[in-house]
Amino acid sequence: MFGEKVIELLKESERSRETMDQYSDDKVRQIIDEMHVLYKLNMNDANATTENKSLWTTVQVRHSALERNKRCLLAYLYNRMNKIKTLRWEFGAILPPDIRELLSDSEYEWFSKYSTNLASYMRSLGQDLGYSGIDLTENLRPPKSLFIEVLCVTDYGKLELEDGDVVMLKKNSRHFLPTSECQTLIRQVE
Amino acid sequence: MANYLSISDILVSNEKVTCKFLHDLPKMGYLDPSCPEEDLKEGTTTDIPLWLAESLSSRRPPLVSVDLPKIFKETYREIFNADACTVDLHKLNQHFYELGCYVAKYDIKGEVAKTLINTFRQRFRMILSASVSTDSMTALQPLSASERDRTATAMNTEKALSGWLKRGDCPLTTANMVANHRKRKRAEMEML
Repeated sequence: MFGEKVIELLKESERSRETMDQYSDDKVRQIIDEMHVLYKLNMNDANATTENKSLWTTVQVRHSALERNKRCLLAYLYNRMNKIKTLRWEFGAILPPDIRELLSDSEYEWFSKYSTNLASYMRSLGQDLGYSGIDLTENLRPPKSLFIEVLCVTDYGKLELEDGDVVMLKKNSRHFLPTSECQTLIRQVE
Repeated sequence: MANYLSISDILVSNEKVTCKFLHDLPKMGYLDPSCPEEDLKEGTTTDIPLWLAESLSSRRPPLVSVDLPKIFKETYREIFNADACTVDLHKLNQHFYELGCYVAKYDIKGEVAKTLINTFRQRFRMILSASVSTDSMTALQPLSASERDRTATAMNTEKALSGWLKRGDCPLTTANMVANHRKRKRAEMEML
């Protein structure tokens, strides 16, 4: 039965709605093969309809199946694209290697381009006012205070602040730091 | 209504419906598992996915006539109208409302549409109580997929509101996807 492989693919991606999963190159190729087969069969039968009028019904069934497969594949790619967008905002411009592996080559290319576009947009912000851009990914929620108290969860090492001070971040040590300096560290759990 | 790129809509349209074929279908015998021949004859009744039924019944002339699924027939409609809250929609059909919206147009009298609204009206109280319940597992169990989504949204909003009322500040947290990725990695490490 046609149109079943593609449902497996979508169910997999629906199950991991909140995380990125491996791009299943293999399944996508199988589905495209299935579509090629359907298309060829349809081509033959459509040419034969002049002698055998009853074939048009079969052609219509296969055509519906082709459209269905196309819709499902597009939906799969579109939903992954949205997740990749989220990756840029939550992980930052450089993806950890284990996440990078999950994307296909063209997806990674898309990610890089999106990243560049976003960066050049952020750089252009506020230029007419004399500022040199603003990092939009920094404050996704309105900041409440300039300084916050943080508790280190890992041995991070030295962190150099903007004013030149160097703080040693050791596990279980407490610090009082400028919010803007540690925002990204908290969001990305370095 | 349908969103072309929505995965959940695609999964709904994968549900099987019973259809009667109005024309001969050469070489399509495999659509009906009980059919031994290569060709499918006019007048055969078989289960096909909703997406296929939808597209074939909207052709001119229509190739199939769609029968209402069992859960929208008279018997089940009576149950829903009597007391919808006793039904376990998760077991009966996860996509009850969405499927109903699709097949409602095959019911000329409009009974299905009425049943859908009536069912949601009765079950709304269940969704509401599930969203504030502490024992979420038992409260969530009989809800259909879309009802669960509603409940989850309601829970989050409730939590956000009470957090804001209590403290008025919001501690910085790890980004959603980052946190989930770490959780998964940890689970994989433990398995090894």
